[in-house]
Amino acid sequence: MRTTSAILSKIFTRRFYIDNTGFFLVLFYALFGVVNGANLINYHKALMLGFLGNYSFLFLVLLLWTAYVLKCTGFILKTFQLQGYDFLFSTMGSIDKPARIRTWFLLHTGIYMPVLVYAGIALLVAIQQHYYIPAAIIVVLNIANCIWPLTLYERKLAQPDIIFFTGHLQRWINRHFTKPPVLFFLYELFTNFPRRIVSTKLFSAAILWLTFLVMTRGEYFDLRGLQLGVMVSVLAHMQLMVHHRAFDDTYLNFMENLPVSLFTHYLRLIGVYVIMFLPEMIIITVNAYTKTSAVGLITVFCTALSLLILFRSMLFFPKMNPEVHVRYTMLTSFIVLFMILGHYEWPAILLLQAASAIIFFKKYRSYEPYIEPES
Amino acid sequence: MSDPVIALRAVKKSYQDVPILDIDRLELPAGIYWLQGENGAGKTTCMKVMAGLIPFKGEILLNGNVSSREHPVQFRRLINYAEAEPLYPSFLTGRDLLELYLHTKGGNREEIGDIGGRLGVDIFVNNPVSSYSSGMLKKLSLLLAFTGNPALILLDEPLITIDTRALTVLYDLIRTYSAKGVSFCITSHQPLDAEELTVTGTLKVAHKNITLN
Repeated sequence: MRTTSAILSKIFTRRFYIDNTGFFLVLFYALFGVVNGANLINYHKALMLGFLGNYSFLFLVLLLWTAYVLKCTGFILKTFQLQGYDFLFSTMGSIDKPARIRTWFLLHTGIYMPVLVYAGIALLVAIQQHYYIPAAIIVVLNIANCIWPLTLYERKLAQPDIIFFTGHLQRWINRHFTKPPVLFFLYELFTNFPRRIVSTKLFSAAILWLTFLVMTRGEYFDLRGLQLGVMVSVLAHMQLMVHHRAFDDTYLNFMENLPVSLFTHYLRLIGVYVIMFLPEMIIITVNAYTKTSAVGLITVFCTALSLLILFRSMLFFPKMNPEVHVRYTMLTSFIVLFMILGHYEWPAILLLQAASAIIFFKKYRSYEPYIEPES
Repeated sequence: MSDPVIALRAVKKSYQDVPILDIDRLELPAGIYWLQGENGAGKTTCMKVMAGLIPFKGEILLNGNVSSREHPVQFRRLINYAEAEPLYPSFLTGRDLLELYLHTKGGNREEIGDIGGRLGVDIFVNNPVSSYSSGMLKKLSLLLAFTGNPALILLDEPLITIDTRALTVLYDLIRTYSAKGVSFCITSHQPLDAEELTVTGTLKVAHKNITLN
């Protein structure tokens, strides 16, 4: 017969490692794959001595471990929110408190284990090399990281409606701040699909970083080169646009009964993508403000936003499935690319804006999700 | 005779080329209507069409002169709809939705607060809808249907999932709003309590058409 711990371990611990296989593969490659096997122990010993002997480096390592514990805690808390996992409230709530705390501890340390193992080895090295203060800091932080999440799990069990870490803060925000419709989709991404938005943003940032790197290495700066990078960065957002349409179709149908003008709906659409592209605009500004004028920066931002809004507006054609969407976005990108290369940036922007406005105002009210007929 | 509260003119609705509704002409004077029909007859589609939630061919007029095509914003101000199985983004709170409705549909904030209290929505209004039961969601959607200054409120299966106390409040609200001149169109597989509500007429959805008895 299976014990309660074994069943809960299957629900939390095993699922955590399966869901994060990609993350651990990258992590293991970074820690063990980049060094020759013969030098692996020396490499890690040097790494440990590095952070044991330097408080700034140690602070960075502790920060990374704490980021990992936040990931673990978020995973357990989010499991309670998943469809089909409601039974956890009644079952775990029925366990005696001391036994439940032990269960939480086992589950939490089970997924926090990679850090505990590495920290344990670092601790042995610290003692061996007489780094007693860093050793004490490592012990205190890891004990704290094993204990404080347990209080959140207990609170979650008592207050099922709490999504974020601090219940009081969330309740205060809910009472005093009304979410505007322009933020609905971003809330959806950050609360229900954080991995999707974070990976898209990291990928997009990497594209921009590469764009600036290529230009720096070549010791030149060409606005057209930057616009090319920005176009690729926009294309990295296509998955989010398809998700945006599905979100609107599924959850925002009620908004069609609100007395809101088409123009306001259009402004909301523009607002969503301005906010979504804000991190990229900051990256571009920081890297390019000394190399181009304000007009140059505005041209780049307008190109990016015009493409984003047109690509999203295209999805108001009900039969535009992701495959067809890719074809049209690529075709549009090629046309815009040649216009940019010919220094016709502003005519391109105006054409993109006109096209997206025409599609939106013509299609929005008549749009209805298309269901593919079974073949 | 006064203008009908709602008039449907050559309204046609199809899903993937399958016709669901084909209503040549239907005019309803002010009152309370019970919309009946078998499962799949097109009751919910009809309500969604009336509420402007889904596109359709033809035209709907409210109060004789507000057209679904020519005055889409004003049209939506005059018609409210509560879904049979409401679905909202999980992260929104009841208050988020209520504020959105009050900002767009308008209406008396105090009155809505009072209705919210009577339905028991005020207890959970600051919690995200992901934590609501089906009954709580239903109460919220009913409350939202009473916001603004509608001429017609469409209630899709309002009697299911809510508790008996809320049901009594709902009947009272329908009577009160009806006395103020608001019309109702209600679908329900359960019979409407004759002691609680006097129905002006019954509407039958069948063979893609709606007939008034």
